[in-house]
Amino acid sequence: MATDTKPKRGVGRALLAGVERIHETLDSYGLVPTVTNGIALLFVVWTLFPVYWMVSGSLRTRSDLLATPPKLVSTAITVGNYPELFAQRPTFYEFLFNSVVVTVGSTALAVLLGTAATYGFVNYEFPYDLGRFHLPFLVLTTRFLPPIVTVIPLHVIFDTASLLNTRLGLVLAYAAFNIPFVVWMLKGFFAELPDSIVEAAVLDGHTELGAFFKIVLPMVRPGLIAATIFTVINAWNELLFAVILTSNTEAQTLPVALATFKTAYAIQWELLTVAGTIAMAPVLLFAFLVREKLLRGFTMGAVR
Amino acid sequence: MSHYSETVGGGRYERVLLWVEDHLRWILTLPALAVLAAFFIYPVGRALVLSLYQFDTGGRQFVALENYVAILTAGAFWQSLWITAKFMFFAVSLEVGLGIAIAFVLNSKVRFRGLIQTIGLVPLVISPTVVALLWQLLYQNGGVLDSLVAPLTSGPVPWLSDPSIALYALVLPDVWQMTPLVTLIVLAGLQSVPDHVQEAAMMDGAGRMRRLVDVTLPYIKELVVLVLILRVIGTMRVFAKVFVLTRGGPAKSTEVISMAMYREAFSYGNYGRASTMALLLLLIALAITYAFATVSEVEF
Repeated sequence: MATDTKPKRGVGRALLAGVERIHETLDSYGLVPTVTNGIALLFVVWTLFPVYWMVSGSLRTRSDLLATPPKLVSTAITVGNYPELFAQRPTFYEFLFNSVVVTVGSTALAVLLGTAATYGFVNYEFPYDLGRFHLPFLVLTTRFLPPIVTVIPLHVIFDTASLLNTRLGLVLAYAAFNIPFVVWMLKGFFAELPDSIVEAAVLDGHTELGAFFKIVLPMVRPGLIAATIFTVINAWNELLFAVILTSNTEAQTLPVALATFKTAYAIQWELLTVAGTIAMAPVLLFAFLVREKLLRGFTMGAVR
Repeated sequence: MSHYSETVGGGRYERVLLWVEDHLRWILTLPALAVLAAFFIYPVGRALVLSLYQFDTGGRQFVALENYVAILTAGAFWQSLWITAKFMFFAVSLEVGLGIAIAFVLNSKVRFRGLIQTIGLVPLVISPTVVALLWQLLYQNGGVLDSLVAPLTSGPVPWLSDPSIALYALVLPDVWQMTPLVTLIVLAGLQSVPDHVQEAAMMDGAGRMRRLVDVTLPYIKELVVLVLILRVIGTMRVFAKVFVLTRGGPAKSTEVISMAMYREAFSYGNYGRASTMALLLLLIALAITYAFATVSEVEF
């Protein structure tokens, strides 16, 4: 509709028109770069400040941390809170250990089973169109399903199966919840592989299984890495399953320890900031190292 | 595939290999399907059975549909759905609104865009449990947020202990954590608009406004629907932030649906009631899934 000079109506369009008017006004004063950079700076401060506040809090004394009005920059830095946390709560080593075991175990299992299943679904035909029906449907429902729906019956099931309060139980539960996610992230990578690639490999004398390991897997490596990154982060951060399916240091993970840190009297903020920092540090470091892949992962499906 | 079986097999090893190759599709897919069945389908079936029982100190007894009647007629379930809906409404509109706005700002000529995108990842990778703690520290009496709003208020704000404020005090951490997701996704969409398309529109004499509506908007429309869906699902299952910050209080003012179910099962030990609520929530989730799946063409 080239003759239509007025934009069509709609909330989005009305908003855009408003934004456009502001933009024109600012532009006439030459203020656009100042304002956009200002908003960007505000976004950065808003995003980083809470993290800075906790990390810096872990390096302060209690009175310095909780001073009113708050001291934005501390004058007295101490690392004493770190040994103090482990001295007062030696079980923290166990929470850390459980978190590491559960994260590594569930990631390995989810990526292994998820990769195999995706490859199977994408490359083979199934009776009753099982693959085409089940793949999107399973992924869709499990992504929509609130985990609380399954975790309550799962508590009862785990009770009879002696999986309550075990690391194995959490490994299985996290793997189950991450498999749809792995499938979702990988299916694009597998679908993009040309069909002829396995055939060509077989003609070259590979077995189908050999072709999968030697040729297909290396080609979908970026997808595998992305899926692994997200599964690691999911498992490391999870609270609901951990809080419901575990009950003591045998299997409790770091998020459970953090969520139940409050004592009967007061929150020991100088120690809780240490615990929080310890829980954040690995994922933040990890995220920084793989930031390009992470960015692509978050915006995946978005841009294809 | 099947042509392998026609090869004349030699020893035992070869025969095993042939069997594996012939059944590869099942070997690849069945383990994952079995795990999914055990952790999604079986628990739902188990919940169906549990929902027909009443649990108390004397054990459990069959009550048929009594749990359903009790939950649907009492106000508590609807109340917690309403609280969840309010949380969802405020969190999702702020996240999507702010997220898109920031994406547009970052898409203009902003310095250090790459660095800012990386910073946007920070809240996304932190555990919701830790996010809750970050905000609890900011909400401390006389803490950072109190001194920030001090010019507007008389004395410290009871962020988490006033029933009329607490739910909004839960919305804020969610907005902090999830707005960058919207920003990153929409920004990626904006940057996927090819320059030559923009230039072609400019050559045709389209003004900024027209280019925005006719060129840019189609590129991000689908993404906005996608993030909307992601955040509706995300806020429907909110748990960690509520569990850490308020446990549903004060006066049940923040008792979202997952918190209500947690309390029913693990404070009162009534797995029957909790399972009934789980199934009702499942129906709601399926309805939302179905609605989104039919309305939008977004691929999951």
